[in-house]
Amino acid sequence: MLEALLLSSPVADDGFSRRIVRRLQRRLWVRRLTLPLAAMIGGALAFKPLTGLVSVLANLRVLVPNDIITATAGSIPQLQVVVLGAILLAAFLLGMRFLED
Amino acid sequence: MTDDIDHELVAKVVSAQDTAAFGELIRRHQSHVRNFLRKLSGDHSLADDLAQDCFMRAWDKIASFSGRGSFIGWMLKIAYNTFLQSKRKSKRYAEVLESAGHVADQASGAHTVPVHELNDLDRLLAVLDEEERAIIVMSYACGLSHREIGDATDMPVGTVKSIIFRGKEKIRAHFEIEDHQYG
Repeated sequence: MLEALLLSSPVADDGFSRRIVRRLQRRLWVRRLTLPLAAMIGGALAFKPLTGLVSVLANLRVLVPNDIITATAGSIPQLQVVVLGAILLAAFLLGMRFLED
Repeated sequence: MTDDIDHELVAKVVSAQDTAAFGELIRRHQSHVRNFLRKLSGDHSLADDLAQDCFMRAWDKIASFSGRGSFIGWMLKIAYNTFLQSKRKSKRYAEVLESAGHVADQASGAHTVPVHELNDLDRLLAVLDEEERAIIVMSYACGLSHREIGDATDMPVGTVKSIIFRGKEKIRAHFEIEDHQYG
């Protein structure tokens, strides 16, 4: 008797599964978009201070004795580009790590 | 066979985050999960909301499905935990309202239905506590084995058997049902 009472007719789907799948797909889209969007916004925000930093570093070059610069430039061609690249890479990696956290 | 199909669908979901495969899993099991929650809560709309939450949680946790038991057993475990959590939340909400000087009747009655709206089954289940009700519904309405119920509720099989026995005894005593009527 208990079994007969508890056995109920199946519940019709009525779009129930479709609603959940749509909710999941929305959530997946939001997750996929978050990282690139945050990277773009971060890049846009960081652009101005970063160019300022680069120009300050370029001005610091005046303080370094000329013979050292020519000696280093002789041994490492395009040192400025390398330094700038390293700074940008470090900033990018830090930013990505921060976003992942 | 059913288990094999479920396991294939789960593998697709885990390996490729395949929402279509997960949709198929929902279509296959939504009836059992919703029926279980409806019988547990006695409220269809609340049960359907909980069932949605339950499938969302299942999506998040699906990588932890070991595949040793049945998928429906694993789903009912999530459903039962979702129900208990929502019950605790509504109880806390009632306590907060009460401490703030409000009458807590509306909130504390969130999982109950007025007596005059109860059908025969609700009346039978009403004499059981939540644990007994969940286990009896899993056993008789969802057709889970004692082992599957044990996995779903984190209880030893022996305890599951004794809870089912105790629940049936309670119903028998309360409604003075004869032995042969149980089936």
